[in-house]
Amino acid sequence: MFTMFRKKSSSVFRIFAITIALSVVGLTPTSAANTNPQRIISLSPSATETLFAIGAGPQVIAVDDLSNFPASAPISKLSAFSPNVEALLNYKPDLIILNADATKALEVKAALEKLKIKVFLEKAPKDLSQAYVEITALGRATGNLANAQTVVTTMKSKIRAAIKSGRKAKKISFFHELDNTLYTATSDTFIGKVYKDFNLINIADPAASADSAGYPQLQSEYLIKSNPRIIFLSDAQYGESLATLMKRPGWNGIAAVSKKSVIALPEDIPSRWGPRLVEFYEFIAAAIGKIK
Amino acid sequence: MKKLGSEGVISPIWNWKITAVSFSLLIFVVFLAISFGPVPLEFQKIIRTLFGLPGGLTGQERTLLIDLRLPRALLAAIVGAALATSGAVYQTVFRNPLADPYLLGAAAGAGLGATIAITSAGADLYSLLPIFSFFGAILAVLVSFFISGKFFAEPNSLLLSGIAVGSFATAVQTYLQQRNSSSLRPVYSWILGELTVANWQKVIWSSTYIFIALTILITVSKQLDGLMLTDEESYSLGINPNRLRVIAVIAATLATATAVSASGLIGFVGIVVPHLVRGITHRVTNRGLLTIALVGASFLVLADLGARTLLSPAELPIGVITAFVGAPFFLVVLRKKRLVSQ
Repeated sequence: MFTMFRKKSSSVFRIFAITIALSVVGLTPTSAANTNPQRIISLSPSATETLFAIGAGPQVIAVDDLSNFPASAPISKLSAFSPNVEALLNYKPDLIILNADATKALEVKAALEKLKIKVFLEKAPKDLSQAYVEITALGRATGNLANAQTVVTTMKSKIRAAIKSGRKAKKISFFHELDNTLYTATSDTFIGKVYKDFNLINIADPAASADSAGYPQLQSEYLIKSNPRIIFLSDAQYGESLATLMKRPGWNGIAAVSKKSVIALPEDIPSRWGPRLVEFYEFIAAAIGKIK
Repeated sequence: MKKLGSEGVISPIWNWKITAVSFSLLIFVVFLAISFGPVPLEFQKIIRTLFGLPGGLTGQERTLLIDLRLPRALLAAIVGAALATSGAVYQTVFRNPLADPYLLGAAAGAGLGATIAITSAGADLYSLLPIFSFFGAILAVLVSFFISGKFFAEPNSLLLSGIAVGSFATAVQTYLQQRNSSSLRPVYSWILGELTVANWQKVIWSSTYIFIALTILITVSKQLDGLMLTDEESYSLGINPNRLRVIAVIAATLATATAVSASGLIGFVGIVVPHLVRGITHRVTNRGLLTIALVGASFLVLADLGARTLLSPAELPIGVITAFVGAPFFLVVLRKKRLVSQ
């Protein structure tokens, strides 16, 4: 009986001690508010790219399983899609970049903040200006503000140059294919706005009211009727190409197919709103440049 | 001759006129479906094109009609017929009005197969999605069979093992999806059902399997009525109830698996249409199986017309329409049936 009590009390004490120890460790960054985070976990492939571009790379100790760029990023098995608080704690982080669209993002954020870990909630930007704001904010949060501002300035001038070189006086229509069931993106989406910067006409825009997020599914018949001049395939990694498009009933009559203006988009770049946006703009500019 | 259900009596014998009416309905609905779309086509020209008369559509408009609208309407009809008939047969076999074609894990199995094809990352497997979902469905039903032990000594144990197998397949599917979050959208849109990628090739292979399955079911439809009695009674009518159940479930599964692999999971058709036909005609006999097939076909063709036109030029998942239109209609029939029987 007595021994049992002792055992119990010692384990209670142990938990108590651990709690205190944990909170002391956890409190350290807060007490020294001006020191920059040195153990960052990025749970967003876009943020990872930004962090390494603004010179915060050495402060990053782990990135999620989809953060495949740059190659030097310490990729881990952490999931950005459904973050696990305990798995994150294992790394003893002092700042976590959390995607606002992750499963139960706000609950995870609250749990981490309760453990005195700072959380940077990264929202998907709606347009280029918001992407710049995000990059600057990441600079501020990691102590690399000046670098971040330089990155943004360079991006701005390079993107402006890409738009200038690619933009045509004549309006060209296009279709952006997400998958072979003809899901697409309207001009309300981030990627749609990139195309819009080039003065391209998005044939999906009449269907904009079908999906508030801007990703409607188009009808084959409508697509053939609207006869886009360029088709951008973001499903090229799933085997779609000019050859498979030609096999679709009625698609031979589409200008983009008959004139072979079917462009396979590179993987990842179009879905990341970091510094590599410049590459995406330059890619689109080059693609439009080939249109006579 | 009695008037249809006027005394609230369920008339047991089938009438060929009902079948003829539903066949005309299907023809009408198919014409309706191919006449509407984002591109306006002249009705007269459509007719001329279909019957090979001079003065029909040419060029791109012809392609639209022949290669897009027609296969899509036909695929909807085939899938609708398959799901409605399988649903009716399952309801008889399990003596359960809530039975639907997905009861024995076919849906979950097909979903798992499709998810494996989608998440496999390589381009190679993605194009094999129909095959994966087909075998997923067949495999799930087979496993349910073997787990339940004795073939149909007890329909309830088969039903329960079907539920267990279904849950297991769904769990594996969810796991795979969680590990490959980029697959969420394609899997989700597949689950909602889609006829968007219909083509002649699909129409031909799916109609082959479904034709075989439905022929078997309609051939044994007279005997299926025997399953509504107790096993002793059906034996005395010269029916081997266990053997009949195995044949019926295998044929219904073949039809369901084909339908699912051609168009994803389209819900509600398998439950609503059989009850609708029984409710309107006041007949419970399985001799109406052909009519149930025809009405199922018409129902899905109409639903797909809605899917194509309501948000035009965008698409609406067809599963949304079948439930949205089907559920209230179904309730009206149920209520009328109850009022009649009171």
